[in-house]
Amino acid sequence: MDDPVAVLIAKCAAADRAAFRTLYRDTSAKLMGVLLRMLRERAEAEDALQEVYTRVWLRAGRYDPAKGRGMTWLIAIARNLAIDRLRARPEATSDDGLDLVQDSAPRAETRLVAQGEARRMADCFNTLEPDRADAVRGAYLNGLSYIELAARHAVPLNTMRTWLRRSLLRLKECLDA
Amino acid sequence: MTDAPLTPHEADDALAAEYVLGVLDLTERAEAQARTKRDPGFAARVAEWEGRLAGLNDGFDPAPAPDLLPQIEARLFPKAPARKARFGLNFGWLSGALVAGVLALASITVLAPPRPELVATLATADNRLAYTVTHFGETLQVTRIAGVPAARGQVHELWIIAPDTAPVSLGLLEDKPLVVTYPTPPEGYVFAVTVEPEGGAPNGVATGPVILTAKVGGDA
Repeated sequence: MDDPVAVLIAKCAAADRAAFRTLYRDTSAKLMGVLLRMLRERAEAEDALQEVYTRVWLRAGRYDPAKGRGMTWLIAIARNLAIDRLRARPEATSDDGLDLVQDSAPRAETRLVAQGEARRMADCFNTLEPDRADAVRGAYLNGLSYIELAARHAVPLNTMRTWLRRSLLRLKECLDA
Repeated sequence: MTDAPLTPHEADDALAAEYVLGVLDLTERAEAQARTKRDPGFAARVAEWEGRLAGLNDGFDPAPAPDLLPQIEARLFPKAPARKARFGLNFGWLSGALVAGVLALASITVLAPPRPELVATLATADNRLAYTVTHFGETLQVTRIAGVPAARGQVHELWIIAPDTAPVSLGLLEDKPLVVTYPTPPEGYVFAVTVEPEGGAPNGVATGPVILTAKVGGDA
């Protein structure tokens, strides 16, 4: 299998602790990057990282390599936890970090042009209006909520929701084509 | 694309996408999360969206991660031999506190999964301060059911102690219930609450007095 992370996860499912350590060594920097970018606080990101790997060990048996790459599965767990924590934060503080939010300009897709998946992603994003593509990216990479996206793009909440839903369905059409 | 209303099929798909993106508010998110558990069709849509949007993952730059394996392994594999030396604590810490009579009772109930299961109740003799520990799936939740948080500048910290091993911190008990990923706590494990300086015990080693303990499946 051309997916060493998937192999390690499968070994974790078989209670192989050495594989778990290797998995941590090989993937924790990426997951720390995800958590740090989304949570924007190092102490919380480190705490979340412990949670993520605890979940990875406990859920390893549910990973199905037929449904996606190992790293994709790990990042989904990390993003899910980060979003749960972001949404649980009190409303008042949710805007505070907005200035710190990293710009989500299309660098994400241009960097790995060589890889088919990323190129396809870039092509499909190009079919969206730029501000809408930016909203999708901002939500995915920075964990922005509808409320934050609406404030950022200076549109009413419902407008943002309509925009985003339409954009997502269009993306799907393009990506699945 | 037109502005025609979404078909039910499209609306479901959009909801799955919104859930994966993470844009929903807390309530909507909780509802969608619950739906992934009871509606396999919806769960499949969510999985498809995770795959679809994975192309954006390259946008996350790696960041140096500290070696948190000792803490993670201590939580997952409490009998790992390396840990005792690392934490430098043992039951002496606990029994001393017990002798001091600081603490009170342990009561345990074991119910059948998959409902949240009451694993332990940590309470003072007069029940003025009490926490319940419940376990569901892979989540441990600790909720204060009586009393108030620690005084200003201090915090209650929760520990779990496997037989003959050092205490492992599970987190701080503040206003909100503490929710932490943890396997089913086996019988014989002990939960303990200490009073620590704000921010929690430095370096993962308990410093403050033990105010509550409860043994899993133990005699109350």
